[in-house]
Amino acid sequence: MHSSLSWTSRVISRALRSSFSTLLETATGGGGGAAAKGATKSGAGAGSAGSPRPRFVSVVCGFAKDNLRHKYKPGKYGEDSWFKASTASADVMGVADGVGGWRSYGIDPGEFSSFLMRTCERLVQCSHFNPQRPVNLLAYSYCELMEQKKPILGSSTACVLILNRETSTVHTANIGDSGFMVVREGQVVHKSEEQQHYFNTPFQLSLPPPGHGPNVLSDSPESADTMSFPVRDGDVILIATDGVFDNVPEKLMLQVLSEVEGERDPVKLQMTANSLALMARTLSLNSEFLSPFALSARRNNIQARGGKPDDITVVLATVAM
Amino acid sequence: MSLLAYGEPAQSSDTDSTAAEAEADVLVDFTAMLQRQRQGDCGGWFGCDSKMQSAQSDQGYYLEQYVLGVLDFSSQYGIDYSISYTATNVIGRPTKFPAYGDYPETFPMRTYGDWWQRAPSATREIQPQNLPKLETHDYVVVYFEEFVVPTEVAIFETFNPGAVVRIWAYGLTKHWTCLWEATESDLARPPLDSRRFAPALKKTTMVTKTLRIDFNHSRLNYYTEIDAIMLCGRTVSKTQNLLAKQQRTQQSRTLLSPPPEVKDSPPSDGSGGPISYKLRTLKFQPNCGEDGASKLHEFINNDLSQFLADNCVDGGERPPQICLTDLPFEILLRILSYLDLKSLFRVGQVSRTFYDISTHPLLYAEISLKSYWHVASSELLCTLARRATMLRKLDLSWCGGFGNVSPTEFKKFLTQRGDNLTHLRLNSCKFLNASCIENVGIVCDNLIELSLRNCATDPPLLNFSCLANLKNLERLDLFQTYFETELLLSMLEGNRKLKHLNLAFCGVSVNMDNVAAHLATYNTQLISLDLWKAHFLSARGLQSLARLHQLEELDLGWCLREASLGDGLFQLLSNCPKLKKLFLSAVRGTTERDLMHIAALGKNLEQLDLMGILNITHERVYDILVHCPKLQLLDLSFCDNIMDRDFDVLADWSRQFNVDMKSSRR
Repeated sequence: MHSSLSWTSRVISRALRSSFSTLLETATGGGGGAAAKGATKSGAGAGSAGSPRPRFVSVVCGFAKDNLRHKYKPGKYGEDSWFKASTASADVMGVADGVGGWRSYGIDPGEFSSFLMRTCERLVQCSHFNPQRPVNLLAYSYCELMEQKKPILGSSTACVLILNRETSTVHTANIGDSGFMVVREGQVVHKSEEQQHYFNTPFQLSLPPPGHGPNVLSDSPESADTMSFPVRDGDVILIATDGVFDNVPEKLMLQVLSEVEGERDPVKLQMTANSLALMARTLSLNSEFLSPFALSARRNNIQARGGKPDDITVVLATVAM
Repeated sequence: MSLLAYGEPAQSSDTDSTAAEAEADVLVDFTAMLQRQRQGDCGGWFGCDSKMQSAQSDQGYYLEQYVLGVLDFSSQYGIDYSISYTATNVIGRPTKFPAYGDYPETFPMRTYGDWWQRAPSATREIQPQNLPKLETHDYVVVYFEEFVVPTEVAIFETFNPGAVVRIWAYGLTKHWTCLWEATESDLARPPLDSRRFAPALKKTTMVTKTLRIDFNHSRLNYYTEIDAIMLCGRTVSKTQNLLAKQQRTQQSRTLLSPPPEVKDSPPSDGSGGPISYKLRTLKFQPNCGEDGASKLHEFINNDLSQFLADNCVDGGERPPQICLTDLPFEILLRILSYLDLKSLFRVGQVSRTFYDISTHPLLYAEISLKSYWHVASSELLCTLARRATMLRKLDLSWCGGFGNVSPTEFKKFLTQRGDNLTHLRLNSCKFLNASCIENVGIVCDNLIELSLRNCATDPPLLNFSCLANLKNLERLDLFQTYFETELLLSMLEGNRKLKHLNLAFCGVSVNMDNVAAHLATYNTQLISLDLWKAHFLSARGLQSLARLHQLEELDLGWCLREASLGDGLFQLLSNCPKLKKLFLSAVRGTTERDLMHIAALGKNLEQLDLMGILNITHERVYDILVHCPKLQLLDLSFCDNIMDRDFDVLADWSRQFNVDMKSSRR
């Protein structure tokens, strides 16, 4: 709703202003001592020497639903979008799934999700990036939409995951039906919940065209599900859009992911991501298979069968310490 | 008359000794500062080359570095918490270069061309004779990681290149040096393509890691955008030793004999007054100007020497000497009133008579230190305080960075001389703190104009009621400065004659609807109002603004967000027939009806900005062009609806109706 948007922006902008002002030194500080406050990749300092500094070894794979319409562009798979970034203090990954219904309004659904992810990537490098609060990252990115000369309309789900190197903790924020899964020792230890208003209508960040505000679902970044948990060396983390979760049964995913536990070779990891994505694609185009989507539809009294053709994005990472 | 001799003034015997003794400290202040700067600039001028080269032989390596952080900027297009179109985008490597276009990942400034000078809210410069030929409109101060001896500064321009006019560097000796200055030929408009602009810098041995880039947009077609700045140079390994060495060489230099007089060389620090400039381009031809003042001015410049020559008696004895000082005092005062401040100080060194004339308070009724920001200091303020007993207009914009001006000195100055001030400009003054502003409120109650642009500090400066003492304000400029809503509201209530109000970028901390309601009640004489980026202004606020019948300029860029305007715009246009400038950049709630109203009711519109408004059609644009005969500027950038096709039609209309139309295409 418009009011949630304005409230979010107000709170964000006030918070940002107070932290952002450290970027602009008062002149009495002078240029010399200011190096430490520069807003580049110099995040937190070295941290405590000796404690393990985890990092992600991450790869991406995916397919657009409609290969003909969408020429391959880096960072996007059809209407899905993803990003990866890292600083000295954190590794960040995220996916966003553009809601396709906007096509009938003449709006390209992939634009919103792509912008959201690109801005998240840029914001990670800013001085006011907080490695503990992925919700803030999403909120700031959402606010940046207001500041674009080119009007960007549409909506998307989003899932952002931050690995804080200092504390070896992962913080996540999820809005909508994209999600993540953490696998350790052959078991799912953490998983995100789908957020839906009703069947096939996930929570979404949106910017409706002017005049359509009241008619359009618009969830604020504050409504994101957040989780924080520690990670260990060898954990496998998968972030994917609903194209994967709706088509690949969990048992199968678990099987595929447990194989790469502790894997540090990005080539092998890429092969697994590729096979997972291909699996999702094949199953989505299969009209007989009882996919998780079909099962959930039946629970909602809708007779459905087969996979759900959709854009597929797989971001696969392992934690290496 | 002899020009400044480059030696310690205390030792020179050219100048009138009594004057020097009596006011030695005064003479030293301004001129000595400029001298030190000159000496700092001119490296091995005295044949100290060998000494400087030994400093250079510290083993260093060639380094290219990008900006680490931004210390200050005069204006930016975006709001400060954003990373789109803001100054933080110059940090780091270029993100878009060599692509050319209007990208949010770059740094544009708030204005372009001369449209703001043509708007009703335009101001006149204080002491305009101080300004250099290519005056600075905007600047940005950036710092890098390593100290280097600069050999190259490259500025990556990705949109409308050609605005850079000066490059300054801040050295270890805490002085600014101008490394490069644009000449007339440099400003020929470059081709519309991204470019890596790296002008030839002055040879210098200074060590720096802080740069300031000056911009002048007056010839640009649209916003200029900078992607990155690169500083290349040789590092120095032991900066402390180098600093000591440089200070020693400076001292040893001053003991050497002064050089032969330099004849009127163009000052390299960017501020030559109009007279010295004119003397260079003079032709000897009697001129008849319209105005008495310029007639006199031109007579003195052009004909005086001829007149004097004609009046010499042929042959024999000493011809009657008529010199400048025989003219009546008032005439001399008038002549000197055309001089810029620097030349005025120099004139005072000539003789006792000239000293008396040049320190007359009437010459210090208007003081602007904006062009001398790099040498402005507390001592200068002190000196000026002694002379400026009739001070009316003061401009200290851009001064005081890096602690050169102390707040105490400023307050003292204001207490001494501020009670008759009518115009006070303190834009981007870094020395301002809460008690300074308090002083302004208490002392300067005759203020008609108060300009506090870009004084954003944390906690916000303007959060106490002393400014509410000002009751005669006609112009209040709070661009990019944050303050408390209550204070602003009480100021609005108190200043019923307010004509110009600039609240750009203030929309986050202030409830603009309340402000609009107050304006409608108390400030009905308002002529111009700038509410740029007041995102939370609503249709209700717009309706309040419609009650300001004298409004000629209204900048609602980025206001209202997607909120529907209701009939706010219609009411505004109906009730404010004098409206000349209307900016509706990114006011996405503007409907086609609103555009029809603009065409029907905007008879006096001269500047119209419709950037990024959805659903603009060709018909509406044509309507506006036909029905707004005075239109000069129409900005249709990012109106993707009309840009995708028939671009040439728009170009034709632009010619036909003689309107400068901006679009996203090149």
